Amino acid sequence: MNKNNKQSNSFTLSNDKISVSLLLIPALIFCTIFIFIPAIGTIIGSFYSYSLTSMNNWKWVGFGNYVKATQDEYFWVALKNNFIIVFASIVLQVGVGTILAAILDRGIKHGKVIFRTIIFTPMVISSVAVSLIWLIIYDPNVGILNAIFKSIGLPTPSKGWLGDPNISIWMIMITAAWQNTGFMMVLILAGLQSVSKEVYDAAEIDGATGVKAFWYITLPMIRNVLIVAILITTIGAFKVFEFIFVFTQGGPSNATQVLGTYIYKQAFNLLHMGYANALSVILLILALFLGWLQLTSSRKA
Amino acid sequence: MSRFKLANLIAYGFVSLFSIYVLMPIIVMVLTTFKSKREIFLEPLGLPSQFGLSSFEKALSVGLGSFMLNSLIVSFFAVFLIVTISGMAAYVLSRIDFKFNKFVYLLIVAGFAIPPAAVLVPLYTMVSNLNLLNSLFGVMMPLTAFGIPFTVILFYAFFLDFPKEVEEAATIDGCTKLQIFFRIIVPLSGPVIASAAIFQTVWIWNEFLLALIMLTSDDFKTLPIGLLKLRGEWTSDWGAIMAGLTIAVIPVLIVFLLFQKYFVRSLAGLGK
Repeated sequence: MNKNNKQSNSFTLSNDKISVSLLLIPALIFCTIFIFIPAIGTIIGSFYSYSLTSMNNWKWVGFGNYVKATQDEYFWVALKNNFIIVFASIVLQVGVGTILAAILDRGIKHGKVIFRTIIFTPMVISSVAVSLIWLIIYDPNVGILNAIFKSIGLPTPSKGWLGDPNISIWMIMITAAWQNTGFMMVLILAGLQSVSKEVYDAAEIDGATGVKAFWYITLPMIRNVLIVAILITTIGAFKVFEFIFVFTQGGPSNATQVLGTYIYKQAFNLLHMGYANALSVILLILALFLGWLQLTSSRKA
Repeated sequence: MSRFKLANLIAYGFVSLFSIYVLMPIIVMVLTTFKSKREIFLEPLGLPSQFGLSSFEKALSVGLGSFMLNSLIVSFFAVFLIVTISGMAAYVLSRIDFKFNKFVYLLIVAGFAIPPAAVLVPLYTMVSNLNLLNSLFGVMMPLTAFGIPFTVILFYAFFLDFPKEVEEAATIDGCTKLQIFFRIIVPLSGPVIASAAIFQTVWIWNEFLLALIMLTSDDFKTLPIGLLKLRGEWTSDWGAIMAGLTIAVIPVLIVFLLFQKYFVRSLAGLGK
């Protein structure tokens, strides 16, 4: 009797495992239809030449679209801009975010929650709204940036803040930092708060306080959080789209394109679907590589 | 001692300056809403002389109300689907160690890394072939899919930390895994559900690229795409543009301030 009972129990258990696994199916269906199949479609489509208007008229071009990319000056400009934005975002968002987090963690006593709330706020505003708000600030006629520069007697750029690509790429960065630095601060602050007080007490006995203790003791201890912060920023910098779409549309003459906006232009303005797919595959490979880096580094953590 | 005070001063100075940098554009946005055209051009740094509401009327005439309604509908249904589907999937992945499940987890992490821009053309073609362009349903489905991987990872981490004893006791009492999930795990997952829902709501409320390619008719535009219409319609009427932005941004800020505890927690948890 007892034995029988046990047997049926183990049978229902494995049955139980299978039936509960059905809960996985909706997630699999959604991701397969809308992420994985399109991803495969992107790869296949990148070997063809076609446009939206001639859907049935696909022409096999082999690696032609990829060869075209290597010879396309604007593709390299877009890729270069993505890397500039990655690098500057790490310095501006992770770097400044770390300083802000350190100050909120141990540097000040009053107003921590208020400062944290204010600095985090832009994170919840849509990037389009953020871009439009900054558009009026950069505007050469009514913008306060020009007004401030003029009132303290500094020269303002003759083509406006967004007209000269050498300047506008930095304006894009300032706007991106405005939106994202608070996120990095909160992320890093959570890491800092997990460092126990004993560590600081021990450091103080050894004569390390303030900035010195932060540099030699705290930073190495939150190394994993910093890696995650850098990876999130890097992935975000490759996804950047709205700021450029609203500020410059990638212009003048494609000088401020990034991969996202250039793919959009090739696909939906020029109707070069095959070529847009090839550019997407390059973005896909970069994104998967970064995702893999994130996975391996967070595993270590 | 004086050196200590100086360090303190620098610390307060730095966060204060950064806070001003963050607040300044929001203040400009709200003040410009109330300024007259003349004031906007002649006194960019000045305050409005009166609180006129004409800019709000212009902004609303673009159709902001309907854009907002569309965003509400898309956000509500997509977030509901994302949280439900991801919660179920994460529970299976965290409890049942089939080899297949490990493969699925890797797939989902890979899905997290794939940005919408990398699958833009096939996704557009697919939605267009299904005749779902310019429909809220057509944009809701891919948005749901793109929200799932991150949410699964979030729930997965939460379920792994969940105390095993409760579940073991329930198993002894004869509960199946399905019953355990719906009767024990879900009721105790309030905080992580709130975090996931808030994070996804903000993401979908603000999503731009997929909505841009799929919603071209004004009847179906969501708020981020609709906001571009403000600029198209009121080219240099900054008062109207800023009024529209104020209408779009202030409700989100209020929701954020009410729920910021969960919000900060959900993002801070990413580093773990």
